[in-house]
Amino acid sequence: MPASTLGRSRSVERKLLLYAGAYLGTGTAILFLHGYGKVPWTVLAGAATAFLSFILLHFFWSFKGFGGDPFLLPLVALLSFTSLLFLYRLNPAYAVRQFAWLLVGVASLWAVTCWFPRYQALADYKYLYAFAGAVALLLPIFCGVEQGGARSWLDLGLFYVQPSEFVKVLLVLFLAAYLAENRLLLSAGNFKVLGVFLPSPRDWGPMLVMLGVSLLLVIFQKDLGAGLIYFATFLAMVYVGTARAAYVLLGALLFLAGAAGSYFLFDHVRLRVQVWLNPWALIDTAGYQIAQSLFALASGGLWGTGLGKGMPEYIPAVHTDFIFAAITEEMGLGGALAFLVVYMLLVYRGFLVAVSSRDEFGSLMAAGLSALLGLQALIIIAGVSKLLPLTGIALPFLSYGGSSLVANFILLGLLLNVSHHVCFDGAGKEAS
Amino acid sequence: MKQNIQRLGYVVLGCFVVVSLYLGYVSVFWGPRLNAHPYNRRLIALEARIQRGSIYDRQGVILAQSKEGRRYYPLGELAAHPVGFVSALYGKTGLEAALDAYLLGQAPGDRVRMFWDRLRGRVPVGNDVVLTLDARLQRLAMQLLAGRRGAAVVLNPRTGAILAMASSPGFDPNRIEENYQAVQREKEAPLFNRATQSAYPPGSTFKVVTAAAALAAERGTAKRVFDCQGSITVDGFVLRDTVAHGRVSFERALVESCNSTFALLGLELGAQRLYRAARSFGFEQNPWENTATPFWPYRPGSLTPPEKMSRPLLASSAIGQGEVLANPLQMALVAAAIANGGVIMRPYFVERVLDPSGRVLYRSEPRTWVKATDGEVAEIIKKAMVAAVREGTGREASLPGVNVAGKTGSAQNPHGDAHAWFIGFAPAEAPRVAVAVIIENGGSGGIVAAPVARELLALALSLSGEGNSR
Repeated sequence: MPASTLGRSRSVERKLLLYAGAYLGTGTAILFLHGYGKVPWTVLAGAATAFLSFILLHFFWSFKGFGGDPFLLPLVALLSFTSLLFLYRLNPAYAVRQFAWLLVGVASLWAVTCWFPRYQALADYKYLYAFAGAVALLLPIFCGVEQGGARSWLDLGLFYVQPSEFVKVLLVLFLAAYLAENRLLLSAGNFKVLGVFLPSPRDWGPMLVMLGVSLLLVIFQKDLGAGLIYFATFLAMVYVGTARAAYVLLGALLFLAGAAGSYFLFDHVRLRVQVWLNPWALIDTAGYQIAQSLFALASGGLWGTGLGKGMPEYIPAVHTDFIFAAITEEMGLGGALAFLVVYMLLVYRGFLVAVSSRDEFGSLMAAGLSALLGLQALIIIAGVSKLLPLTGIALPFLSYGGSSLVANFILLGLLLNVSHHVCFDGAGKEAS
Repeated sequence: MKQNIQRLGYVVLGCFVVVSLYLGYVSVFWGPRLNAHPYNRRLIALEARIQRGSIYDRQGVILAQSKEGRRYYPLGELAAHPVGFVSALYGKTGLEAALDAYLLGQAPGDRVRMFWDRLRGRVPVGNDVVLTLDARLQRLAMQLLAGRRGAAVVLNPRTGAILAMASSPGFDPNRIEENYQAVQREKEAPLFNRATQSAYPPGSTFKVVTAAAALAAERGTAKRVFDCQGSITVDGFVLRDTVAHGRVSFERALVESCNSTFALLGLELGAQRLYRAARSFGFEQNPWENTATPFWPYRPGSLTPPEKMSRPLLASSAIGQGEVLANPLQMALVAAAIANGGVIMRPYFVERVLDPSGRVLYRSEPRTWVKATDGEVAEIIKKAMVAAVREGTGREASLPGVNVAGKTGSAQNPHGDAHAWFIGFAPAEAPRVAVAVIIENGGSGGIVAAPVARELLALALSLSGEGNSR
């Protein structure tokens, strides 16, 4: 292994992290000069610490010779820093909590890359993931608390935890392991239904049960966003594993049937759709939030009002699901597109890792995690801009919320672990 | 499997591209509509962050001022129509609306200063506006109109500067938020600015325009003698005078306001030339275009277009009846044209705009609006108007020691008694003030409107004399 190549790739990471740091510094200076918060110095200390945590992780990786993709960490740093800046600008109290969660997130990233670099071993515990996921989703139904219309939180005294955020990662792990083992059986199919060859229910069974349980649970939790994410990720991974477009088609049909059914069964689903079709008719009630979000999106123009100069606080819950509208108001269409490009780059590097991975479990996992990351961003951005009906989910690394942030850092860690193993090959090829 | 991953990757990245294009569409194509949506509170909030500038009269008397987030109008209803009001609920009117960009500091010259204010976290302050209005004249005008429906306009014929603009009944701009609904429902329409938004038949005051047209067409008209039988019949339509004036000179016809003579002059002129004369006096035109207040609510004077003008209509148009309509400012400008040698200056309200440090951002310059007639014609009509006040219908407007020129009007209308009109200016040899007064359904112009004009001319002359002595 040519060590020089590895060293160079980490130096790319360092350089990019410094750029992200300069960006954070500029934003911090603006907030500091404006005197946001009760103690203006906290913003400087917080920003310095946040930057330091990333750069320390980078030095740790350099020291250990970690070969993970050098672009992922700086991209995530850029998103995390933006999150801190905007939350501080919206309400310093949110930023302080998010700052604590960011440190937890970076620590989990360090733990995942340090303790489980041999991700292949993770494939052995697939039924444990299924079981843990089911328990994690059941708990809020019995002893959870409701927030924003969804009963998906657990009250742990000091803070709330949203288990469904972590179940997303468990779902990908389980599916990757299961598909890696059974994909040939599944893609062959020996069971004809409606002119389509399907594999026998014995092969399908565990996967469908896992998915069905999780979907039922999100229905009981009224967490439509999580349900949509699970289903879409499931379809994406089944496609990658089996290459059978028919499955995806069948799945999409099932989804549409389910959506139509819940439209007629559940009032809250029906209301969502009505608000999506015409929020202006319901602007005093259910349509208020999305209307305010559209106002914010439009008021930024091309280059935005500037940090702290817009009025995104008119949007209810702007710090969680609607942070993208706040960012667009103050950074403009230009800023919004820039963040879309950041997500595209993250997803692109993720899929590149998936393509270059040598083992099927690694490929499936990396593809699943990348799809999961991209889908989360797409669904919530399309939701706040009224392209799709709004389903409340967190925008990865940007929205306020500890569970989502930590879960996404774990996702990043797993992705980096897969890339660590491909990098040996890639680096070798590059050098030759 | 690699191929599957690639395809999935393309699909996901493709979705991002779709979302990007859609966001561009929202921002660019929906943007303007969303920004102006009534549920979007950003515009109002932006204004609340700015301390709105003050409005002063020509002497520095405060007409509008912001204190502790409220807008105060010390003159109350006395200047309510020209100054207007600002309300989060009911919008803006008058100069508050017309000068909004200056008062909020959003005019092109303000960008840098407002940016620095915002950057340093200061409350941005808008610009102050000094008007041409005189609070004392404004107060007198409203007092003279009190209890009656009507309007009065006082202006400087040499510059176009508006010294007073009164419309009665008034309303209290200080309590508009509480009273708006009730005020808006009132039958007498207090919110309506009768000085510029109205359309009254000008009656005999319009004879000034007809006279100018007749003299311009044939200078010899001034030497003609007419025979007034007390009425004139045009294609079976009978147009009456109050008395038979007998044999009258041209000047006498104007002094006594002889309908038969002017109806005859109108018929001789023809629809085309009468219409063109009215246009050159500003009818069918808007003087506010290309000024500091381009969207000032204004209902231009109007009359029947020549191609639709029948002979009976032409005869009655020549004496300011028929379909001729005008607002009081327009009629003040007709007087100003005669006062100023045939040239009408563009009317204006804004003397200058000052930024908070006192730097002048804008200063008015008198500008010609239209050339109504030539100086010789104006001089002939002026002589007749002086005679009208000295010994004719306008005697009530005469002032001791000052040559006042004027023309009365008693305009018949379908709503009851005649509208009482008076237009005029003084001193005749070097006019400094022009005036127009209307009292709705007041009856005779010479009896009801002329005394109001007299008081306004007297005060305006003493004030302008005081201004000159400084």
